[in-house]
Amino acid sequence: MLHHLHPVTKIAGLVLLFIWAMVFNHPLYLSIIFLMVLFLSILAKSLSNLKKFSIILVILAFFSTLLWSLFLRGPTQLLKLSFIQISKESLLYGLAMGIRIDAMILSGIIFLSSTRTEDFTRGLNYLGLPFPVSFALSLSFRLVPTFAATSSTIVQAQKSRGLDLESGRLSKRIKKHIPLIIPILIHAIRNTDLLAMALESKGFGFKKEKTHYLNFRFIWKDWLSLAILAGLVVLSFYIRLNGYGVIFHRI
Amino acid sequence: MKAIEVNALSFTYKGGNKKALDRIEFEQEQGEMVVLMGHTGAGKSSFSRCLNRLIPNFHQGNYSGEIRILGKSITGKKVHELVGEIGLVFQDFESQLFSTNVELEVAFGPENLCLSREEIKKRIDEALQLVRLKGFERREPATLSGGEKQRLAIASILAIRPKIVVMDEPTTDLDPQGKLEIFSVARLLRSEGYTILFIEHEAEAVTEADKVVIMDKGRIVAEGKSYEILKDVQLLENHGIRPPQIAKLFEGIDEPTVPLTLEETFTIFEKRGWKISDEKYGALLEKEEDKKVGYGKKIIEVNDLDYVYPGNIKALDSVNMEVREGEFLAIIGQNGSGKTTLVKHFNGLLKPAKGEVRIAGEDTKGKRVSELGKIVGYVFQNPDHQIFADTVEDEVTFGPRNLGIPRDKISRFVEDALKDVGLEGYERYDPFSLTKGERQRVAIASILAARPHILILDEPTTGLDYIEQKSIMDLLQNLNQKGHTIIIITHSLWVVAEYAKRVLVLDKGKIILDDEIRKVFFQEEKLTNSFLRLPEIIRLSNRLGKTLLSVDEFKFCLKR
Repeated sequence: MLHHLHPVTKIAGLVLLFIWAMVFNHPLYLSIIFLMVLFLSILAKSLSNLKKFSIILVILAFFSTLLWSLFLRGPTQLLKLSFIQISKESLLYGLAMGIRIDAMILSGIIFLSSTRTEDFTRGLNYLGLPFPVSFALSLSFRLVPTFAATSSTIVQAQKSRGLDLESGRLSKRIKKHIPLIIPILIHAIRNTDLLAMALESKGFGFKKEKTHYLNFRFIWKDWLSLAILAGLVVLSFYIRLNGYGVIFHRI
Repeated sequence: MKAIEVNALSFTYKGGNKKALDRIEFEQEQGEMVVLMGHTGAGKSSFSRCLNRLIPNFHQGNYSGEIRILGKSITGKKVHELVGEIGLVFQDFESQLFSTNVELEVAFGPENLCLSREEIKKRIDEALQLVRLKGFERREPATLSGGEKQRLAIASILAIRPKIVVMDEPTTDLDPQGKLEIFSVARLLRSEGYTILFIEHEAEAVTEADKVVIMDKGRIVAEGKSYEILKDVQLLENHGIRPPQIAKLFEGIDEPTVPLTLEETFTIFEKRGWKISDEKYGALLEKEEDKKVGYGKKIIEVNDLDYVYPGNIKALDSVNMEVREGEFLAIIGQNGSGKTTLVKHFNGLLKPAKGEVRIAGEDTKGKRVSELGKIVGYVFQNPDHQIFADTVEDEVTFGPRNLGIPRDKISRFVEDALKDVGLEGYERYDPFSLTKGERQRVAIASILAARPHILILDEPTTGLDYIEQKSIMDLLQNLNQKGHTIIIITHSLWVVAEYAKRVLVLDKGKIILDDEIRKVFFQEEKLTNSFLRLPEIIRLSNRLGKTLLSVDEFKFCLKR
């Protein structure tokens, strides 16, 4: 459902979700936001992508809770073991920060899995970014999987020549990467060179302007989606300013 | 008005010491299909890049001479100013494609020309129709086969509607099926009135061209009707091009019309009553039987091997096979049939999902690649995926040092390996300054220097010209005679026929044939069903009821 939204809606939506997650620092309020984002990811059918990241999300939430609990001091002490102190507030705050990071990452996953590279760059054009800049950006996205595949071949080729990356001290291990880095760099340079030629041969830079095959119209669905999100953000600010949803006021 | 006119074109790359192009004179009529042939480094690509001004705009250097495209001089033009007249398709299709779906890939050119959305749509349809990719609009280019990717690259040029299409070795990186697809697209374009300049180094593919031009050392050394050029075996061989097998068969035979296709040849055979002599054929088989050396003990054993890639894609399906010491085995099959997946099990890069692989009697489970590397050497397809050192010597020393070969032995091993691959005296050279064929040799030497008993080579001849292919294969034959077990993966069936002793055919992860070459290549129908097309001389002999693997064998057995 989200896939068909205007790319500008998607970009603005992502920004609004980020802001929304920043409003509160109370785990309960953030949990509500997290659930809403989770609901969006169901709408965007990006749950399968989410599964791949679920362990990372859990780990992040755990460490955030642990670290904030240890480093922040709150009035209600729960535990004191020599220099280790944990308070109720710091524990809740840590939990909140974990949920905030997870909600943001989840928003990012929804965005990436519902937006093609071309849609994203087209969105940036609509927002005023010149085409060559946005095109360069999209190319760099596009080249990631290519380089990943080549790098994996290069690793296998060098492993077959007895390169052992797993053992040895750190300084030695860094040196061991030279046989990987050089072929990868050379491949990258050669690849970029060819791509540049191919682009020129297809008339890149023919005129200052160009037309776009991908055309989006900003329709009621886009207005509605943005209005709902913006409304929720404004409402949340109002709630926060009235002193709710907060563990530590100054942060 | 001529499509292309070239006068006294010379070019030397910046920093280069010899002319890449040397006083080229060339003409092509509109609607003609011309094939440009020549060995690696003959100047074919440089020439094609001059035609759309990539030279001298993109590659700088010393440029002189004049080119006229459709009657107009292109001197001083920019590359993008010529896109309406001339479109260039490159060999490396992977790096030409950059969109997330087929339709957008094709749209890129017309978008740059500022065409309307409706017009772009029309052109996408038209271009995809021409390359037979209709219905692929929403597919991601990464999911296409090699042949489909190259067709997409062609479509993305056609959508700009150039009058002249130049294709620079579009089939070199493709499997046999992909090559056929590209040739059929070229034929179709020609019948649609396009002017086509096709750069290619395989002779058999170009019998339909109006004109063939041969380049060597930056110069055009011969041109003429394709028929005239292709039957001139001496000329082709002198300039490093593999002549069509049938032309070679008729060399020295006094026959007024030398045929170029299998049908024509067969008709001549029937008319003249020529046959394959039973007696000679028998003698040939007998000689082969005598030469057969007893192979040594089992060195590779594969039992009920399954391999599954992430996403539940079964790449190997209950594979059973064995290799004995001293064998020369070729593994063939379409792309995606599991060839590379299978051999990666031999040096432990992959571990069986089910079943077992034993190397020299020991299970590969729990063995590291670096341990197996002492027995099994694996040369990857592209030498540039492994070369990193400043000198050839350092590059070749890398393997044996990693594998823990004693210091006092390494220098001797390296020396021997370089001698084996014919690179003595190259120790101090920078490997990046060598030709592709020489880099391939460096890669082989770097594996050889660790003295593994088994040598695996993944497509050792791809991207090399005829002379380089032959010299690499001669090298492998030599190593085999010295006692190494050789396993190659290849698409080049003449290489299999002339060099290997046994062939294994994979189809969708299963072994469908595994036997001596002559026996396997007699089963032509089974091979055709797996999209494997035998060399012409073998098909001709099969039609005559015997299987002859090379022109020499055929000449020996021919009764006329």
